[in-house]
Amino acid sequence: MFSKIKKQLQPKIKTLGNALAKNPLIMRMLENLGFRDYDLPLAQSEDSRFLVLLIALMSFLSILACSGTFALNDMAARWSSGLENKVTIEIAVETKDGHLLSNKTVRKETKKLAKGLKNNPMIKSLAVLSSAEIQELISPWIGDSLTLNDIPLPGLIAIELRNTNKKSLNTLKSDMLKLSKYARLETHHEWLADLINFTRTLKNLSLFITLIIAGVTIIAITAGIRTRLAIHQKEVLLLHAMGATDHYIARQFQRHAMILSLKGGLIGAVFGLVTTAIIIFLSSHSDTTLIPTIKISSAGIVLLCLIPIIASTIATITSRFTVLRNLSEIP
Amino acid sequence: MIKFENIGFKYKESGEEILHGINFTLESGSYHFLTGPSGSGKTSLMNLMSLGNMPTEGQMTMFGKKISTLKREDLFELRQRIGVVFQDFRLLKHLSIFDNVALPLRIMGESDENIKNYVSELLDWVGLEKHKDNLPPTLSGGQQQRVAIARAVIGRPKLLLADEPTGNLDDEIGFRLMGLFEQLNRMGTTIVIATHNANIIEQFGHPRLILGNGNLHTSQSANGPIAQKIRNVF
Repeated sequence: MFSKIKKQLQPKIKTLGNALAKNPLIMRMLENLGFRDYDLPLAQSEDSRFLVLLIALMSFLSILACSGTFALNDMAARWSSGLENKVTIEIAVETKDGHLLSNKTVRKETKKLAKGLKNNPMIKSLAVLSSAEIQELISPWIGDSLTLNDIPLPGLIAIELRNTNKKSLNTLKSDMLKLSKYARLETHHEWLADLINFTRTLKNLSLFITLIIAGVTIIAITAGIRTRLAIHQKEVLLLHAMGATDHYIARQFQRHAMILSLKGGLIGAVFGLVTTAIIIFLSSHSDTTLIPTIKISSAGIVLLCLIPIIASTIATITSRFTVLRNLSEIP
Repeated sequence: MIKFENIGFKYKESGEEILHGINFTLESGSYHFLTGPSGSGKTSLMNLMSLGNMPTEGQMTMFGKKISTLKREDLFELRQRIGVVFQDFRLLKHLSIFDNVALPLRIMGESDENIKNYVSELLDWVGLEKHKDNLPPTLSGGQQQRVAIARAVIGRPKLLLADEPTGNLDDEIGFRLMGLFEQLNRMGTTIVIATHNANIIEQFGHPRLILGNGNLHTSQSANGPIAQKIRNVF
């Protein structure tokens, strides 16, 4: 099938190519971009495939690392915004002096507290969590096989505050204790701060890995270009003897590096994006709620798609500066 | 055109002194043979004249400019005024004959239309028009040499340097190529040819620059018979 399509397309491409070749403006533009046969035999070098493979691998790893960064960023944002201005009041099953409360007492205390706080000016909204909601919350730890009647459960009231400054929280705490001596206020700040710090550390680590990948790519391209310069020294000196400027020679190398890195970058990006998509799919279809759903914003996806172009830009700039630096040593 | 004053040259790596106290002046439109035994420094002197190397001592003036006072960037333009024919041709094997000859014009930024016209005309002149799409390895030694000469002269250089241009050729082709150089010289190109070939030097009879032990001596024209014939033609 592919050979049939190829056969059909080839004459059309040739016609288009010939039409372009007749237009001097387009040809001049393409030449300025370096789309003309190389004066140096760079396209015939055997190690081109190695450079493509290397860039593909770097691009693949960069996409994974960046996906991790974007996903963690999104996760931290969701956690922060989801719990903003929110606190939970708990009627714990076990009192401070070690006594256990019955489910009946817990439910009675919870109801009393909710009724008492309903018209509190600091509270924007309030909701008592039903037994089913509590069971859903704790099921990842205890499973679905146990029923609520088997174990004592705390009473939970989810509250959205008008603001969360220290004074408001203290007032709320005092109002709450006036209504029930068993009540405890959970502001989420401590564990959420730890979680966000941990996420931030992971995010920075991902960024660091991306930078290392970029650094390794630059080193590998520099070494590759130096090797090419050594292999084609005779031809480079010939162009130099004819009066070719350093920029003229550098353009040949940068175009070569740009094409190879774009090829490698696209291959790596395809594999990287497919892998990321699989991870996102698996996270969203997981049975356990312990694994958070991984999401990447549309801006993040656009950035991921730009990685081959970024890799190609890095390769082009690196090759240009490597060649210019080496040529400056020739008289 | 070219003025060398007390020029010395030694390689940085080995520190070996190749040339010392070289003095000569080449007038515009002149024609000289550079000769001397192997290892006397002919190639090094040619490299200095082609601005491939810089002297380690002395004052070199090319096209009225003192080279030591110029910036590196200024040398690119000066090199474009020099055509070089290398002993080993140095053709780019992956490029067609047309593209090999077109190379100096592309470097100069000439338009595609002019490149096509000039290169076709020159390939016709050296008798290689029908081989323009061939790759260099498919040509004979003599044909490759003609491509190398065409490439050296396509940019209409003011100075043409040729290192043993007849070294790989039989006498007949060698003499024909020397005829091409005579024509170029008639058109005003200054020519320096490094050669061992005593027969050619004698037959063409141009002044000689004789290198020996790193020193240079000059010898006047022998006014050879072939040179006389060519002059009579023009």
